[in-house]
Amino acid sequence: MKYAFFVGCTVLSRLPGYEKSARKVAEKLGVELVDMPGSSCCGTTYMETLDRKTALALAARNIAIAEEMGLDIVTVCNGCTENLTKTNKALKEDPALRAEVNEILRETGKQFKGTVEVKHYVRMLKEDVGLDKVKAASVKPFKELKVGAHYGCHLLKPSDEMLFEDPNDPKVLDDLIRATGAESVDYPGKTECCAGPVMGIREKVTWNVGMDKVQTVKKYADAMATCCPFCYITYERCQFMTETNPNLPVVHIPQLLGLAMGLTADEVGLSTNKVDASALLAKQEA
Amino acid sequence: MAQSEIRITNEGKEFRNEVMATHGADKLMHCYQCGTCTSDCPVAKRVPEFRPRNIARLAIYGQKDRLLDGDLVWLCAGCYTCYERCPQKVHVSEIVSALRQLALREGKIHPTIKSIVTTIPKHGYISEIGEFENEMRADDGLPPAPTPATEEIKAIVKKTGILGRVGGA
Repeated sequence: MKYAFFVGCTVLSRLPGYEKSARKVAEKLGVELVDMPGSSCCGTTYMETLDRKTALALAARNIAIAEEMGLDIVTVCNGCTENLTKTNKALKEDPALRAEVNEILRETGKQFKGTVEVKHYVRMLKEDVGLDKVKAASVKPFKELKVGAHYGCHLLKPSDEMLFEDPNDPKVLDDLIRATGAESVDYPGKTECCAGPVMGIREKVTWNVGMDKVQTVKKYADAMATCCPFCYITYERCQFMTETNPNLPVVHIPQLLGLAMGLTADEVGLSTNKVDASALLAKQEA
Repeated sequence: MAQSEIRITNEGKEFRNEVMATHGADKLMHCYQCGTCTSDCPVAKRVPEFRPRNIARLAIYGQKDRLLDGDLVWLCAGCYTCYERCPQKVHVSEIVSALRQLALREGKIHPTIKSIVTTIPKHGYISEIGEFENEMRADDGLPPAPTPATEEIKAIVKKTGILGRVGGA
């Protein structure tokens, strides 16, 4: 299995633990992730709300790079996944829109052809690698570790565009957590948004939304697992915004998978997590 | 308490039509004000003045100033909960997008969003990923970030004219 790896701005510049663990876990599972030369920002979820044509063109340029590589795209950010998936779908289905966007792209020398698919990393694990294979690779499983999954929004929504799991009852993260031997717990508000996009508008709203979930998860679990850089940053940083830091470890899902697969704390970049997550290591079978 | 009267003017109707002419916002008039959008909105739970139902109502009545002044339309987290739950498929999230586009036309854009939009053609990313960042990546055992073809991105934004509209060039 081989994919064009679209890492995205925030993971590239701020979350080495996510990227490192995603690459190492892929390697363990025999999945080759190839970097995309010349790729850039996906366009951001904001751009779509300001100017659809610009958003489509920025995303289409990145998709065209993967098309030239002849590879489907794997992403690790919910926002990038949404932008690239929606653009891919819209331009495949609407030839007039495709022609219009390709006209915008003319000077770049790139053209959207509609020959590849876009998948989030967790979706790739479920649909292409298979949960059984992930479970079989977990040679150092967790024991008596409770984890609260946080899906975020754009992995699943809008559901008529993303065409993945039911946003009211998603499964993939829970299944992946269970594949590591850990218990995936249910908790109130599991599918609620992190409000990360409001951080730059009214910061306090985001910290409040974040703390509400952190405090809930703390009642039910030892750690939280995410699959989106913005959700991760919200739930980690909000804890440092109060005097009573709840110290709930937040991990990127490939970090959890990687540890269970026998990777070291360093190999999954665990020291880059700002809330100390080393307690997880004590919950692994020797 | 006296309620302020809302009258729809011709100008208001025109504004409403402009909202509805925007991609995804055409079902505005199907809203019957049930409030499902608001009951599960993560922002509405914490920000009293942010009410998706009220945004739809104000749009129906063409209340341009009340919608576009301040940071109201920039407070949407874009989570699509209202999009998923609306029994009428009004998609308030798309109404908000339409309002942002109309705000932009009036020269109104939140400074944070403006900074993101102007940074992308400059650095290719939403923040600079240059020599320093790549040294940090190397320390973490990661390959250099792809060098984004900024000339190509500049060509795109020049063609769509978005930078001029956000006041970035």
